[in-house]
Amino acid sequence: MNKNQYAVALKNALTEIKKTCPDVSRSFIFTQDGAIVAGDLESDEKTTEKMIQSFQSVAEKADTIGGLKAFYVNGKKGKVILSSVNDMYLALAASKNADTTYLHSVTRVIIPTVMKLLETITPTPLQFAPSKQLVVDTLSGFFVGDSVQIDMEILEEWSKLLNQKSVDRVEIEAFGGKAAQCKVKEINDAKLKGKGMIRIPEKVCNTLEVKKGELVKVKPAST
Amino acid sequence: MSAKNKPKDNIENVQEKLQSIKGREGIIGYILRGPNSASIDLKDPTKIIDYAVLSATALKAGQDMSAMFEIGEVDTILLEGEGAKVLSTMVNNHRLSIFMEKNIDHNKLCKDLNLT
Repeated sequence: MNKNQYAVALKNALTEIKKTCPDVSRSFIFTQDGAIVAGDLESDEKTTEKMIQSFQSVAEKADTIGGLKAFYVNGKKGKVILSSVNDMYLALAASKNADTTYLHSVTRVIIPTVMKLLETITPTPLQFAPSKQLVVDTLSGFFVGDSVQIDMEILEEWSKLLNQKSVDRVEIEAFGGKAAQCKVKEINDAKLKGKGMIRIPEKVCNTLEVKKGELVKVKPAST
Repeated sequence: MSAKNKPKDNIENVQEKLQSIKGREGIIGYILRGPNSASIDLKDPTKIIDYAVLSATALKAGQDMSAMFEIGEVDTILLEGEGAKVLSTMVNNHRLSIFMEKNIDHNKLCKDLNLT
């Protein structure tokens, strides 16, 4: 899971928490160095940054109590809670009458669980697989099938990057914008190996609107 | 920051109560700082500066956050660390911070000191 997906998931979690506890007026999550990871729509950036600075000034001086794990401000009209969650901090502002038990369960159970869950989700490796620009060669005849052919070295490189046994399907994108997914095999013509080519059945060439000698972008298909 | 509407001898009452709680198990000490004087009682006097700076910074941050999030006058501020916690509040124009071990019930302490 990349950083954006992680932030969106946390933002959604904060929004849901706010829905179930309307007494929570603002909430956001930030890192120890002050970077905001996720926040609800109510939290304007300027206020958030100021608050983080105030909090950091306290955290810097909290060695005498073993580092700052939580900071609670109880006011006449509401309360602010900042709580350490894994290696980040969750900030919540709530009305005076907000259910303290619920707020504690949010800061100590719900958000840490969501974060742990997000961190254990297997990363999507395909986002890191580089696409290749290859030159089209057309395959024709009765027995060409519907598979494209590319160099074994490229297939092996992708398999290694994606930590997969093999790459069986590829996504081909023509520069005209047409795209297709096909099964893929190693180039079987020894003369064409190592030349940065992709051999595409004529039928698929027609779908992609590409001709022999043109460039296409190729990458492993999402599974 | 809340100024409790209590008699003039309020601070003296608080000081008396502080004296009575300072020997309790788990209480590390306190700092009561007024405009012209301060009462400090800490088990480890070598950490007076550290505790004083933390206390002052926490009270300032609490006030700032109260203004930012519009939660009204601050009643109490609580800092929780790995091994200890700090309860801070204003009593009249005096800044009070009590340092204690993490397992101490700070709500009970507030009641004992008439801070709530």
